[in-house]
Amino acid sequence: MLMFILRRILQTIPVIIGVTFVVFFIMQLVPGDPAVLLAGEGASKETIEAIREQLGLNQPLYIQYFEYLTNVFKGDLGVSLKNSQPVLDEILVRLPITIELAFFSIIITIVLGMAAGIISAVKPYSLTDVSVMLVALLGISLPSFWFGLMLMYFFSVKLQILPVAGWDSLLHVILPAITLGAGGAAIVARMTRSSMLEVIRQDYIRTARAKGLRERIIIYKHALRNALIPVITVVGLQFGALLGGTVLVESIFAINGLGRMIVDAIRMRDLPMVQGGVLFASLIFVVVNLFVDVFYRFFNKRIELN
Amino acid sequence: MTVQVKTEQPDIAVKTLIGGTKESRIKDFISTLIQNKAALAGAIIIIVYLLMAAFAPLLAPYSPYEIDLENKLTPPSADHWMGTDDKGRDILSRILYGSRLSMGVGFAAVLFGAFFGIIFGLVAGFYGKWVDTIIMRMMDVMLAFPGILLALAIIAALGPSLINVTIAVGAFSVPLFARIVRGSTLEVKRLEYIDAIRSLGASDFVIIFKHIFPNILSPIIVQGTLRLATAILSAAGLSFLGLGAQPPSPEWGTMLSSGRDFLFSAPYIALFPGLAISILVLGFNIFGDGLRDAFDPRMKK
Amino acid sequence: MKERNKPILEVKGLKTHFTTKRGVSKAVDGIDFTLHKGETLGIVGESGCGKSMTSLSILRLIPSPPGKIAGGSVLFKGRDLVTMPEDEMRKIRGNEISMIFQEPMTSLNPVIPVGEQIAEALRLHQKMGKKAAWDKSVEMLKMVGIPSPEKRAKQEPFQLSGGMRQRVMIAMALACTPEVLIADEPTTALDVTIQAQILELIKELQTKIGMGVIMITHDLGVVAETCDKVAVMYAGNIVEHASTEQIFADPKHPYTQGLLNSLPKIHEDQEELITIDGSVPSPYNMPAGCRFASRCPYAEDICAAHQPDLVSYSEDIKVRCWKYTDKWTGKRDKEGVV
Repeated sequence: MLMFILRRILQTIPVIIGVTFVVFFIMQLVPGDPAVLLAGEGASKETIEAIREQLGLNQPLYIQYFEYLTNVFKGDLGVSLKNSQPVLDEILVRLPITIELAFFSIIITIVLGMAAGIISAVKPYSLTDVSVMLVALLGISLPSFWFGLMLMYFFSVKLQILPVAGWDSLLHVILPAITLGAGGAAIVARMTRSSMLEVIRQDYIRTARAKGLRERIIIYKHALRNALIPVITVVGLQFGALLGGTVLVESIFAINGLGRMIVDAIRMRDLPMVQGGVLFASLIFVVVNLFVDVFYRFFNKRIELN
Repeated sequence: MTVQVKTEQPDIAVKTLIGGTKESRIKDFISTLIQNKAALAGAIIIIVYLLMAAFAPLLAPYSPYEIDLENKLTPPSADHWMGTDDKGRDILSRILYGSRLSMGVGFAAVLFGAFFGIIFGLVAGFYGKWVDTIIMRMMDVMLAFPGILLALAIIAALGPSLINVTIAVGAFSVPLFARIVRGSTLEVKRLEYIDAIRSLGASDFVIIFKHIFPNILSPIIVQGTLRLATAILSAAGLSFLGLGAQPPSPEWGTMLSSGRDFLFSAPYIALFPGLAISILVLGFNIFGDGLRDAFDPRMKK
Repeated sequence: MKERNKPILEVKGLKTHFTTKRGVSKAVDGIDFTLHKGETLGIVGESGCGKSMTSLSILRLIPSPPGKIAGGSVLFKGRDLVTMPEDEMRKIRGNEISMIFQEPMTSLNPVIPVGEQIAEALRLHQKMGKKAAWDKSVEMLKMVGIPSPEKRAKQEPFQLSGGMRQRVMIAMALACTPEVLIADEPTTALDVTIQAQILELIKELQTKIGMGVIMITHDLGVVAETCDKVAVMYAGNIVEHASTEQIFADPKHPYTQGLLNSLPKIHEDQEELITIDGSVPSPYNMPAGCRFASRCPYAEDICAAHQPDLVSYSEDIKVRCWKYTDKWTGKRDKEGVV
């Protein structure tokens, strides 16, 4: 197990380097001369040349990338083009907000998703099952940005029981967390259901029945533990979608998190900020995936050895 | 004879269609699909939307761009079934025209993603060894970006526009297609008849495109349909953020975005484009599920 | 040992049908047998003949839908299991009637320690406390011959060999000292040496507890070794029912004769294995007449037209064949066809 964790950590290093490479490479796609862009309109040739010199833009690309990589590992993600503040400082201010939002959303994804999946699987093809799965189908089909607006309309505008936007109290968390967690919950519900139905067909469930156990114990003790193992992976993947989704949800609910920072930065052509934000979010995702894999392995080892 | 192909995605286990005459296979497939009522409903939704897009100029009661400030922000009525927006434009007409943009972007992005993904997946699966390792590690890196952030980074570099959204959303589907195609290719490659063809002196190119590719079409089609749903959602989302189509374009995400300023006074501006997206995406999702079940021998009794 | 008077299990006209898109499959189509205390009944037949479905039907473990017990009764100590309410039925499963399944590899829950899998039945049926149930399950593991049972009880199935898992299954089935044990191909998945050990173990424990055993198998060797009487099944029916000695010495039904003929004979110099020609009729589309008729070397007109009943040939022998009735003409014998 320890070996597995070590090997898995070693495996993420090339992925992280790959991510930095892709982020660096994408920024090379920017049309025009970055020095001109940085200097702003109407800058003199000398200024542009000075910027080029200062940032090493006249070096070959691979040297530029190498420098970028070293800087990243030193924690230097560059400075914002708008206020010349270090990108990392801004990220660290925004990060706790996004983490809080992501935390509540993933809780909704897991708890709501698994509960719905189990309820469905217990009585497959029943009215409950069909209704739950229909709602789950809607869950994966509704655009989060529209769903969020509609929630806002009903709960904040019509019923006026929840705040419209902002991030001051726990009440502010409810709508964004539901908006962000709903899609994942729908996917987890579908996965939990199909996994449960698969497990219920297994021989050991028949053994449990032959033992005279109550249906409830068969479901929760014998089936669920086995059924949830593959769901762990799905939850891990959903966390990625969820991190990406913060971009939309934070924009809708005017939450000053990492996602909104990236969108604002794109609008203002603040490329180092975009680069830093995307890189940081990806690193979080890579680390979360690492944990999910270890977790999965821990629960799955006995099955794989069979 | 059917051979089940297990792809790496837990949700998609699809058999490839080998043996039997082409007609009998297609007949079998269509009858399974029609028996699946949900899939049929999905197909109908998609067809209706396609017709909407094709005949938008005939169906639309007004011009999608014509500003009529005297009739701005009118709620749904007999004249304007879905009301008018802040510039007095007819929302129904805009949605009809917008279907061309929103669906067009989705289809283009998936085609783009499928094209590169299929090539990468076929090459990786067929040649194996270091080629496989390099390609699939590249795909892993692309998948390491959470959700639409990769698309966002690409747009940040290329600049906001509908074309760039297409490229960005397409790029984001490449690794998903590559994984599925690689998995299926590995399965098909193991079949004896591929060895037989190779011993007859067929070139790699012929084996890959004439013999392997047709046999892995079903997982690709299923994945493509389900990806369409996601692609349409992502593209609309990016336009909603102002990173894709720009006003006054009737693209649905853009319409939603402008409607959000009037959520208090005129919620219908945001309501209808969102419904349009939701129903279409629902259509693709249930059609995709149905396709998967029709291709999947485990689901048959 | 054998108390001939009152059977503990009496199966009468049991029918289990599966309704699928292709139609109704009559997997079990009218089965009768009885089981007494301390007695071992073998149910033999080819795979798909309905023997496993019979055993699952007794405990009402048929996957439903599509399966359904369509008729008949299963009297256990006078009570009908077929119509019993589900929560009463649960008190019998694993307590008074236990089952051992064919696949020890997949029949144990992979994520629960084996000791717990035994103990939970004890807590449920014997109302034992946590500690007492655990101690008893360790004791059971010891009884079925698992070395260092304290340690093994805490392990999960993947840490145990196939033979050990089957021993665990037996320990689990016997934990509540059942009156009937249904063993569905208990040794098929095991190595030959371990097979013998497991059969020996079941026999030994049977004598100890005095339970009735139903041994479901396709292996006539197992039958010869363990059973007192045998029911031969073919296509959802019992075709012959007799004592083990009788079946081996003088099989009546042509199918039983075929089965015995197909056994490789050690002492004779056999060139090839003898098989029964033809194939089993589809359970979706059973013939109107005798189900074995198409493969039977003696078949006459009546065989294809009418299904024979299971009738007594002598006090101990029941057979389902026109050959032993007064409707039999014996024409083909006289003509020297066979």
